[in-house]
Amino acid sequence: MAYFASAQQDFSFAKPGTEEFNLKRYDKDTSANAVVLREFGTAYLSSSDSELIFEYHVRTKIFNSKEFRQGNIEIPIYKKDANSFEKLSNIKGITFYPDEQGLIRSSELDPKQIFTEKKAYKNVDVTKFAMPNLRDGCIIEYSYRLQSPFVFNFRKWEFQSDLPKIYSEYSPRIPAVYNYNISIRGPLKLSKNTGSVEKDCYSPGGGFKADCSKMIYAMEDIPAFKEEDYMTAASNFKSAMYFELSDYTSYNGVKTKLTKEWKDVDHELKTHEAFGAQLKKKDFFKDKISPLLSGQKDELDKAKLIYKYWQNWFKWNSNYGEYSNDGLKKAFETHTGNVGDINLSLVAAMNAADLDAEPVILSTRSNGTVNPLFPVLSDFNYSICKVNIGDKSYLLDATDPLLPFGLLPMRCINDKGRVMSFSKPSYWIDLKASQKESKTINLNLTINESGKAEGTIVIYSSGYEAYNKRNKIRRFNSTEEYVEDLDERMPKIKIMKSEILNLDTLDRSLSETYTIEMDVADKQDRSTLIFNPFFLDRVTENPFKLAERTYPVDMGAPSETRIMMTLSFPEKFEVISKIDPVGLALPDKGGKFIAQVSAEGNTLLFMNHTQLNKSIYSAEEYPYLKELFNKIVQSQQIDLVFKKKI
Amino acid sequence: MKRAVLVFTYLLLIFSSRAQVNYAVSAIPKTLLPRAGAIVRNSETSIEVKALDDVISKHKVAITVLNSSGANEANIDLYYDKVTQIKLAKGIIYNEFGLPVSKFTEKNFNDRSAVSSMSIYDDDRVKFFHPTQTSYPYTIEYEYEIRSKQSLYFRDWLPVTTTGVSIEKSSLSFICPLNFKLRHKEFNYTGKVQELSDKDSRTFKWQVSNISPLRYEPYSPDHEQFLVSVKLAPETFAFKNIKGSFRNWDEYGRWMYENILKGRDELPEQTRSLVLDMVKDLQNPKEKARKIYEYMQSKTRYISIQIGIGGYLPYPAAEVDRLGYGDCKGLVNYTQALLKVAGIESYYAVVEAGGLKKDLLTDFTSMNQGNHVILCLPFKNDTTWLECTSKIKPFGFLGDFTDDRQVVVCSAEGGKLMRTPKLETAGNRQIRRAEFQVSDKGDLTGSIVTNFEGSQYDNHDVLYNEAYAEQLKKLPDLYPLPNLKIQSFQYKKVKEARPVTTESLSINSTDYCSFNAGKLHLVVNSLNKYTNVPKEVRSRVNPVFINRGWHDEDEITYQLPDSYKLNFPPEKKRIEKPFGSYTTDITFSGNKITYKRIMQLNEGTYAPEEYQQLVDFFQTVYEADHAKLIVESAK
Repeated sequence: MAYFASAQQDFSFAKPGTEEFNLKRYDKDTSANAVVLREFGTAYLSSSDSELIFEYHVRTKIFNSKEFRQGNIEIPIYKKDANSFEKLSNIKGITFYPDEQGLIRSSELDPKQIFTEKKAYKNVDVTKFAMPNLRDGCIIEYSYRLQSPFVFNFRKWEFQSDLPKIYSEYSPRIPAVYNYNISIRGPLKLSKNTGSVEKDCYSPGGGFKADCSKMIYAMEDIPAFKEEDYMTAASNFKSAMYFELSDYTSYNGVKTKLTKEWKDVDHELKTHEAFGAQLKKKDFFKDKISPLLSGQKDELDKAKLIYKYWQNWFKWNSNYGEYSNDGLKKAFETHTGNVGDINLSLVAAMNAADLDAEPVILSTRSNGTVNPLFPVLSDFNYSICKVNIGDKSYLLDATDPLLPFGLLPMRCINDKGRVMSFSKPSYWIDLKASQKESKTINLNLTINESGKAEGTIVIYSSGYEAYNKRNKIRRFNSTEEYVEDLDERMPKIKIMKSEILNLDTLDRSLSETYTIEMDVADKQDRSTLIFNPFFLDRVTENPFKLAERTYPVDMGAPSETRIMMTLSFPEKFEVISKIDPVGLALPDKGGKFIAQVSAEGNTLLFMNHTQLNKSIYSAEEYPYLKELFNKIVQSQQIDLVFKKKI
Repeated sequence: MKRAVLVFTYLLLIFSSRAQVNYAVSAIPKTLLPRAGAIVRNSETSIEVKALDDVISKHKVAITVLNSSGANEANIDLYYDKVTQIKLAKGIIYNEFGLPVSKFTEKNFNDRSAVSSMSIYDDDRVKFFHPTQTSYPYTIEYEYEIRSKQSLYFRDWLPVTTTGVSIEKSSLSFICPLNFKLRHKEFNYTGKVQELSDKDSRTFKWQVSNISPLRYEPYSPDHEQFLVSVKLAPETFAFKNIKGSFRNWDEYGRWMYENILKGRDELPEQTRSLVLDMVKDLQNPKEKARKIYEYMQSKTRYISIQIGIGGYLPYPAAEVDRLGYGDCKGLVNYTQALLKVAGIESYYAVVEAGGLKKDLLTDFTSMNQGNHVILCLPFKNDTTWLECTSKIKPFGFLGDFTDDRQVVVCSAEGGKLMRTPKLETAGNRQIRRAEFQVSDKGDLTGSIVTNFEGSQYDNHDVLYNEAYAEQLKKLPDLYPLPNLKIQSFQYKKVKEARPVTTESLSINSTDYCSFNAGKLHLVVNSLNKYTNVPKEVRSRVNPVFINRGWHDEDEITYQLPDSYKLNFPPEKKRIEKPFGSYTTDITFSGNKITYKRIMQLNEGTYAPEEYQQLVDFFQTVYEADHAKLIVESAK
């Protein structure tokens, strides 16, 4: 029967070959403690109920106990509600292991040892089992079948995972009446890419029959995926295939288009009950905001007032989503909701105030970038508000009360977002940090003869730097307790007086002024004074440790740090460590580091400036970036040394 | 119309019944405000034993949240499982002036699994309500009721659980039939337990009031040393339909043996003969035990599985034998069964495991002390302890997870308190020798050889057990040398009861030295800088507690290029304190610098006043560890 053709393509269960038993290490990656020998998956629409069937089968060699965690399996099962949920069945598993005498024995997975944890996450149950009798050199093999009513999300296939794979094959069988947009991510190449036609494979009833294209995609010798620091979602880089349903024709010949072009999506979202329809509720917000805006004429002031009000009104429930979950009215009344609830209602409220605001849908950094070629709605997981005032526009996210107007949280800084303007076609915008991460430290210190340095430190922070610091201060009951803690963390320094300004004025730089006193005399030799201008926050280690880099370095935002110091020292002392000026620039105006010292009588002027102008540096730029930090670390190590004149 | 009236009366009821309570923020005693993010206005816990398998605990709580730092205190998380059910949960939120603004009931609670992701299976769940107030201050008042089908254990009463929260009033009542014997133990409780009886029940009551917020103080001892708490335990109890009683560790051990352990040690014939065959040529029982332990290690792996009687029941030995995995209880029970086949006696030992050493209480026995089990082998004058969840630990080495603490061993003869062996300060050693060539450009090339012993052996096992690629990635964190290239590295292990890991690295680090004004700057301590200076704490209250001592020795040589010339006097530094010592010694010969550093931390408890000295000690060490030699050019 043609229907079972796919089964033949799967490799035989529980029949590892001699060479698989004998494999002692994986020659292409000798550091691997386990390797996937074979992996096979298929997906097709069942003729009986038009549900999506996904079958998975994998055989893995585990060389030693360092990868025994591969034997603990977790399969998530999605449950949307009581009527639509995935069903897991046909779980089979077997372990082949060498016993004490070196003989190969096998041990089957006991169905009684398979457990399901209900609602492990929101809408997700997790089935868990542990493969029995793992030993060094064992082979584990398991397979299962997952049936899903969610035909729009045809199963993706991840060729690359944390283990290297010798062979991985995916064979979806797609009825000709279903059209999927297929995309492949990652740098690796398919070793097999064939298609054939299966006659009449899909027969949902009523005499309706359709052919299927049976595809075979395979890769060989797939290296393990290794994450690096400063990197966005692994899914952006992992080699994998994605399928998005674009249209289908039902048995009565009616063709239903899904996400084919953006104009279709525009229409879909505009009328979507949890999106466009919600935005029409602006009348509900009219009387909520009118007292707030009374007497206000300026559009920007109005937008800022509404934004601030929204930030303080809502307590975000930490759930993402581009759609409204509870409905805007209910969310407003209960002061809480998901991202969609909060930010779509912000759009509605802005509109209610006759401001030109539009929702923007996007995908967060950890969720990966979106497909730029055609609309894939399931790529998106977040919405924000874009308000246009004059010729300027501002991107707003009201889920966080400490974000200044126009600054998105870092999680949203991820390539591109789509502006769902319902008055004109939707369009892409870049999601970039609107402000750089910036810090300026001004020190004005005088060292006296007894080796005490006294004076003031003023720190200005803006952008994400200020955001992070405000968050830190907010964790204390009061600014006094924050300063006390700061003081206690620096045993050498006493904070005599402090002032923190603009803690709540988010649009301004946060300023901290500390009057301090510190001991700089050398403990053994009081005639020597040692002072390192970077006592506040020194870069002691290069954050980039890898010799080379595979993926780009994504810092999220450009950054700048400036340190300016005026240091007076006593007449009786002289500077014995002259500091050489340092200057280094990244290619293509990517950034720079400059350090300079100049002396005038008994005053030293000290300047240190670090600038990183890009948010993302390519793997090719990595060596330069690493070298820049080398220089910063080295330069900040050098102390100023003063000695008593003899 | 009728409906409006109903609502009105209902509100009235709420108001009138609460009329006597004033939740206005202005009513909070001023002394409780400093350093507080939240204030427990009132907390009443009452536990009522209706029958041994029917225990109702009622909770009434009112908390004022003053600002966002105290917001989490208002979160309600109610855990439940197969034996505990939530019977009621509801509450009201009041504004700053003590006026009600909203209410919530059980249907406003969310429900989710409370299974830790590491666990293959258990049935813990949590119902939670996290209020969405965004303006402060406000007060949340709530009550809930939990019914439990067991009286085997009761949760500890711990009125203060976190920093930044003050307590206006908090109380615990325990109500039981006259024939129910309650055992209780108070910690840091200055009051007297009130005891009241009427004709059919007895009530015990503890209460505290006006407690200022706790501050975080580094190097504090276990909370039982300074926080108020009460432990409760029954004499006679039930867990669903299992009944029992114990009053002391002896009886506990016997009960454990009879109800939890007995009869779970059967093994298939095949395994029995395998064991007998394995040890047939060995005479010494200890050698037999080692062989069996190593067999168990190779055959099994640890997986967290919770089954039966509140998670106290081990998987039967035959199951572990068949599946090749188990949790701590299953693996201890299995090892015990294997040893029994070879005629070696061993005891199931319950221990409170963790980085912080904690004893089971000598004078108070309860089921919910201890969170782990290990195995005790009572060889004559050579008691040996086994950690059965590790595939790599040497025979007889417990490591710092369970060393040096009072545990209870269980057998048919009863329970017995014993102490696990201690990893002594002097044995927790890290001994390092490194030799470097320094190039004209300031690059380092050379070798680093380090021995890790005692608790430091344990620490380093984490890295040892990683995949090669991960090790390569993590070594630069351990040795933060700039541009570190690891040319080769290997581990050697001596797996005895006093094990040693030897790590040998051959490395290269470019730009290690910096240059300024023609001089070379060299941080002589390139490998073992102490960076963890604790924060100062003014007017510290708690004694200084150092949980575990250790001893580090480093000897590093630098061969400088001829273009530089050494002309300093040798340098020595020595600090000696009760809690630790630090010595460095820099000498020169030709163009070679030899740097020696010895640092030791001594475990123990020291007076609160000594805390500042400890901070100063670490700060001095920190500075000395970062000190540089400035070397002149030879020209």
